Amino acid sequence: MSTFMGIQTSLRGLLAHQQSIDTTSHNVANANTEGYSRQEAVLDASMPLRIAAGEFSAGGAAHIGTGVTVDAFRRIRDTFLDLQYRAQAMQVGDQSTRSRQLDQVELALAEPTENGLAAQLSKFWSGWADVSNSPDDIAARQALIDQAKNLAAAFKTVDSQLSVVASQAAAEYASLTGGGGDVPAIATEIAQLNAAIKQFVQNGDMPNDLMDRRDQLLDRLSHLAQVSVTDLGGGTLQVNFGDAAAPLVNDTTVTWPQALTDPKGKLGALLDIYEPGGTIASYRTELNAAVKSLADSVNVLHNPGGTGTNFFTYTAGAEAGSLAVNVTSATVRTSVTAAVGANDIALAIAGLRGGTPDKLYNSFVTRVGGDVRNAIRGEANSKVLLDSIDDRRQSTSGVSMDEEMTNLVRFQRGYQASARAMSTMDQMLDTLINRTGVVGL
Amino acid sequence: MSTRITNQMVSRSILNDLNEVSSRLSQTQRRMSSGKQITRASDDPYGTSRALTLRGDVAGVQQYQRNIGEAVAWQSVTDAALSKMTDTVHRARELTIQGASDSAGPAARKAAAAEIDQLIESIKQEANASYGGRYVFAGTATGTRPYAVAGVDTYSGNTGAVAREIGPGVSVQVNVLGSDVIGSGQAANDGKLLDVLRDISDHLKSGTVADANLIRSVDLKGLETALDTLNQARATVGATTNRLESADSRLLEVEESTTRLLSEVEDADMAKTLVDFSMQQSVYQSALRAGANIVQQSLLDFLR
Repeated sequence: MSTFMGIQTSLRGLLAHQQSIDTTSHNVANANTEGYSRQEAVLDASMPLRIAAGEFSAGGAAHIGTGVTVDAFRRIRDTFLDLQYRAQAMQVGDQSTRSRQLDQVELALAEPTENGLAAQLSKFWSGWADVSNSPDDIAARQALIDQAKNLAAAFKTVDSQLSVVASQAAAEYASLTGGGGDVPAIATEIAQLNAAIKQFVQNGDMPNDLMDRRDQLLDRLSHLAQVSVTDLGGGTLQVNFGDAAAPLVNDTTVTWPQALTDPKGKLGALLDIYEPGGTIASYRTELNAAVKSLADSVNVLHNPGGTGTNFFTYTAGAEAGSLAVNVTSATVRTSVTAAVGANDIALAIAGLRGGTPDKLYNSFVTRVGGDVRNAIRGEANSKVLLDSIDDRRQSTSGVSMDEEMTNLVRFQRGYQASARAMSTMDQMLDTLINRTGVVGL
Repeated sequence: MSTRITNQMVSRSILNDLNEVSSRLSQTQRRMSSGKQITRASDDPYGTSRALTLRGDVAGVQQYQRNIGEAVAWQSVTDAALSKMTDTVHRARELTIQGASDSAGPAARKAAAAEIDQLIESIKQEANASYGGRYVFAGTATGTRPYAVAGVDTYSGNTGAVAREIGPGVSVQVNVLGSDVIGSGQAANDGKLLDVLRDISDHLKSGTVADANLIRSVDLKGLETALDTLNQARATVGATTNRLESADSRLLEVEESTTRLLSEVEDADMAKTLVDFSMQQSVYQSALRAGANIVQQSLLDFLR
């Protein structure tokens, strides 16, 4: 046992506290860094020195402490909360995308207002009623034709806005998954981080900040689709993405592009919106059904027997987009007879007000409204859940200034005390070296 | 859940709360400025569907009211024409009785006949009454003058019914046919007003005793029948007008109640909205104040 051991012990204390203060500074510096997990220096008593025991201990040995060492810099993180966070992030990605997209559909409908399609339909029926009152009046007929054209244009506008929403969703999907999109970019970075982390771990290091970065990327990825992570050991991960056949990232290998059919998350919502048979397609089908019912019920009355001209024309399967008025103010029929004052057809068509076409359109609006409402609610609920999970995660991993300040005081005092211990030892040695054995000098 | 609270948690939760309160505020503000409870379909999908239906109903009722206004105007034109015809027939009857009396000389009979000819023209003139450019006695041939004044007595309209829709699935015939009321003249020999008056005029002109007898025995009776027909037509017109007016007042009630329902469904309750607004505003202010205080404070303020 060296005479100077005390100095060495104090030095260890100084170094350990200094590193603790460094770690605290690192935490404070990153208090507002997204995805940062607080770190702490794990202090451990250093290997004790075995010394010959005193005379009463039957020839055994005693251990004398040699101070402290920093074992590791630990990243404080609960991986179970990460799993919960990612599952919920997928829901938020899904619901918020859905509500944002469907919101546009709702805006396109502009119901209930004075300018919506329901109001246009109502004006159309009134146009027929006015014609039934003055069947020979060219002005009333022209007003009817104009209103019918407005109605057809309004249906066309809504239909084209629906297809715009679908193509925007398709474009967003393509930009996220395509080259340079979020998915390949994140996957590539995860693969690179896997390689780097593996190397550090092999050398016995803990690359905390790289792991934080990787976790943050996984969080972002889980907004996009369902993500499942398998630890391959040695610090490297396998990441499965959506329902892709092969893992997106396996150690340092990225497999992309891959086909997704039901990836969930944001991509799932986008796919569900634009794909054939998806939400927008079913809206358009429903709108087409309403337009077909309108055109058919007017045509069958306007052109009984099907030998004359139809009032409306349309292309089957694309009714809303192709609805057109086929008659002019001169050729619109108000009666099956040739008498100018007869209004049987006009009366019958005016009587369609509030019938199947109106009902079909109303139920379409109700369905869109209900879907948007559900999406908005789903978004709010899933965000609340995500926030509460993130709170728990933050509660574990986040930086608390109060705590860091307390630690700072604690470590500073520890440092000061170690220094004091060292200077005490120094004074002792001073006594020993400079004042002992000076007899006769 | 542990009680460890970090700075990011605090600031995020303050931000979330502020966002939520301000989004509620903006929704309330939207309600106040629009006066509507439902500004978008997703505010209340079922309410939206009700509002659309009710709004369609209101538009329909307003259209029926317009139709009724149109029908009533048609009726009053018809009634005015029929009333003048009735007056004319009364005058014709007086002339006929005078002319048919044995004391009247041939000159007086000729004069009476001449006046009756004029009366026939004026009846045809009345039967050509029009509303909005449409001949009301011409059936559905509303563009065709039903009688040629100073011409033949033949009816040139048709027998079509002119109907107006006054309610969902309820149509009312508004027209009276000239052929039913005054007939098609001597050529048709239909015993209607024009036929009878032409007969009387002929009989007065020829002026024989047999003719005078015919006037007394046949023509006056025919004139009575024609007058009855006219009166019947006026009664029908009156009844139709009554029906239209009662339908109109019923529609007014329906419009009022539908509008009220619509307002209940889609209009904002202003008092409640205002109370909500001021409550949310004070919540927002206290959230801001609390947030500002919490964010400022930390141990740093107390460590020296």
